[in-house]
Amino acid sequence: MQIHAVTILGANGTMGRNIAAIFASFGSAQVYLVSRSIEKSISAKEKAYKSVRAESVKKKMIASDYSQLEKCVEKSELVFEACAEDWEVKVDLHSRISEVLKKINDGKDRVICTGTSGLSITKLSELYSEEQRKLFMGMHFFNPPYNMTLCELTPTVYTDRTVFNEIFKYGKDTLYRTMVEVKDSPAFLGNRIGFQFINEALQMAEQYKYNGGIDYIDSILGPFTGRAMAPLVTADFVGLDVHKAIVDNLYENTRDYAHDTFILPDFAEQLIKENRLGKKSGEGLYKTIMHESGVKIRQVYDIEHGNYRNVMKYKFPFVEEMISAFREGDYEQGISALINNRSQEANICCNFLLKYILYSLETARDVGYDIHSADDVMAAGFNWCPPLAMIKAFGGIEAFQKLCEERLDSDMLNKVHFSELVEEVEISRYDYRRFIKAKY
Amino acid sequence: MENKVYVLGGSQTDFERNWSKEGKNVIALLKEVVSDALVEIGLNYEDIVKLNNENRVACFVGNFIAEEYIQQGHLGALLTEVNPAFYGVPSARYEAACASSSVALDSAITKIKAEEYDLAVVIGWELMKTVDSKTCGDILGRAAYYEKEGKGIDFPFPKLFGKLADETIKKYCLDENRYMDALAKISVINYSNAKRNPKAQTRKWFMDYDQASHRGTDTNNLIGNRLGISDCSQVTDGAAVVFLASARLIKELGKDQKSIPIVKGYGHRTAPMLFEKKIRDNAASEYVLPWTRKAVDEAYKRAGLTVDDIDVFETHDCFTSSEYAAISAFGITAPGKEYEAVESGRIDFKGDKPINPSGGLIGCGHPVGASGARMFLDLYKQVSGTAGTYQVRKENGDVPRNGMMLNIGGSATTNYVFVVGKE
Repeated sequence: MQIHAVTILGANGTMGRNIAAIFASFGSAQVYLVSRSIEKSISAKEKAYKSVRAESVKKKMIASDYSQLEKCVEKSELVFEACAEDWEVKVDLHSRISEVLKKINDGKDRVICTGTSGLSITKLSELYSEEQRKLFMGMHFFNPPYNMTLCELTPTVYTDRTVFNEIFKYGKDTLYRTMVEVKDSPAFLGNRIGFQFINEALQMAEQYKYNGGIDYIDSILGPFTGRAMAPLVTADFVGLDVHKAIVDNLYENTRDYAHDTFILPDFAEQLIKENRLGKKSGEGLYKTIMHESGVKIRQVYDIEHGNYRNVMKYKFPFVEEMISAFREGDYEQGISALINNRSQEANICCNFLLKYILYSLETARDVGYDIHSADDVMAAGFNWCPPLAMIKAFGGIEAFQKLCEERLDSDMLNKVHFSELVEEVEISRYDYRRFIKAKY
Repeated sequence: MENKVYVLGGSQTDFERNWSKEGKNVIALLKEVVSDALVEIGLNYEDIVKLNNENRVACFVGNFIAEEYIQQGHLGALLTEVNPAFYGVPSARYEAACASSSVALDSAITKIKAEEYDLAVVIGWELMKTVDSKTCGDILGRAAYYEKEGKGIDFPFPKLFGKLADETIKKYCLDENRYMDALAKISVINYSNAKRNPKAQTRKWFMDYDQASHRGTDTNNLIGNRLGISDCSQVTDGAAVVFLASARLIKELGKDQKSIPIVKGYGHRTAPMLFEKKIRDNAASEYVLPWTRKAVDEAYKRAGLTVDDIDVFETHDCFTSSEYAAISAFGITAPGKEYEAVESGRIDFKGDKPINPSGGLIGCGHPVGASGARMFLDLYKQVSGTAGTYQVRKENGDVPRNGMMLNIGGSATTNYVFVVGKE
């Protein structure tokens, strides 16, 4: 499919403008930026090119507003909706697109994509005529899209398979995205796995509040466990409001064995009420304050006392051992240090990683089409060591199986039909070594 | 007849990685690349031990300047920290700025040819992301005559290769726009080739002709007079390993000699260190870099081949202006007509003389001490048909028979050329 022009609705948002830059750069497409006012679109255009580090894309972007919607859509082969995650807002917008499409009626096919991360794509597609629905699908990018190459593509029961395949190929070959087909299921695949992990970390922070809580858990699940950023630092970065929207949606609308791990802990609810959302509001789980001397001090929310205190520099013997082994490339030795150390912290860490692998594979079965899709979403959407690669880090499938049987609740293993799941495991296409950092 | 030197293959690290950000040191880098290379060629550390018991294996380490980047010297001996199999193995470090691993290759080839050893392990590496970009530029300045061309100058090398661009325009009375346009196209070719290479530093980056040809903008600022960021290779961490073997070892391993690429020829010439002297020195030559041309010419002679026999090239595009000069040095066009090969698509991935299918230094990355070994490994991959997603094919669908590489140190001061091909 040739895509010469794209219309982006909600182009003034961070995702909207950065996705616009992806279409304009790799896709070399003319991109119409549609926002509530032309000024907002102009300002988006001024920022968007920076995300792909190329001024050349600026001239491919045309600032517009909703009064020009028909003209923009008429010229486009693809319309991408990237507005607020609010059902009413989306209904209004998609109904308008549907009307516009009826008016244009020039016989040309136009693909309509929604960038929603949580709403039902099938329900959105039902706002369109039967004919139009065939060209509707979900196209979920991750933030920031230039660095995170994941794109989850979701068809509905109405989607024309040929068109879907063409868009999949366009994303892969032209936009250089890591394309993963996922089902129309709450939060899709990447966020379901990622936010399950993060929310359980939040719950553990509450459970271990007397040990320090947030920074204690982050020190146990830091970069040395296969990620660039500790999980609660990630939650702070994403924003607790966004985190809540995702986990609430998952709690309401899914029923898997990890259901209770989607309950947002009370302290996080409280922080949201106080508008302490994270990095974007200046404080959340963490904050940075400036000392009189000009030195920046990193602080963390103390769950037990309800105030901020300086982040503690935890040092655990098993982590020290892991980091010094990883620093010299001795991955096996580092993982052995984790497995053989039976301190509370090492147990939390090891069990978390095993559960992460298990939940990823189980969810890939449910929401994806291929066991490798769990690897793709976690590597390209979160920059976390993907689950199949993590199995390799643990010493392969047999070692992993043994560890799970020794350490995880047998109820949990039964629920995921563990022995069947293990049989489905394939060798990862990713190298675990690059994801495991030699750092707290 | 001269003894043959066989190329068994090897491995490179993912040049996208930043080892300092991962918190890992040089030992981690070397452990990974050496063990991956052993897996690639089907040997293991026990084989090294056995060969070493009979004094049949040696290591040749190429690195420019670890003393500055990671405060480490004695780099040949450092391999003993990688694996105890290297205890006792003769090993030393070779240095010629960005051509360091080519000197290591040269020594390894010579030793195999002389039947001193049966297996040579050539390891090129550099960790550069340990310092900020300005400091990095200053450290690289030591590849020039530092006191006169580096000290106190911000980013000395982009400026020197900017001068090469000036001299090229002047020498051939080129239309400035046509020349700069060719440089932009060279950049775009390298970036787009890198998209096919799963270990290239810039494989996820965006670059197009429009961006590369508009220099002096926010996102493509001028760094070396007329050269923009898009004309430069980037700071890279990485390592590459190549294993070379004698005919005797090939027989012992039960491999078919005819199917294994061999080193067919080399050239090695040193030009005047100071850029000004280099330019004065070229007055009588039709080439802007006469010593580079001479190294190429001698490699052809030693191999008994001409440019017509070479199906793929890897060159040292530390800057677009150096790749431009390499086009005529390789003999693809007459000197002064290099733009023709760029404009006509001859050097494209699908052209008849593809240059840098790997993405080159601009696209794949330039960990300076590793680049020579990385290019050599890429020639091996291309002629053995194992380059995977970036395999070049001839018009008739065959894999290339012969490949040539040019690796330079300093401002084209050290010039190293190798030809790798099938018998």
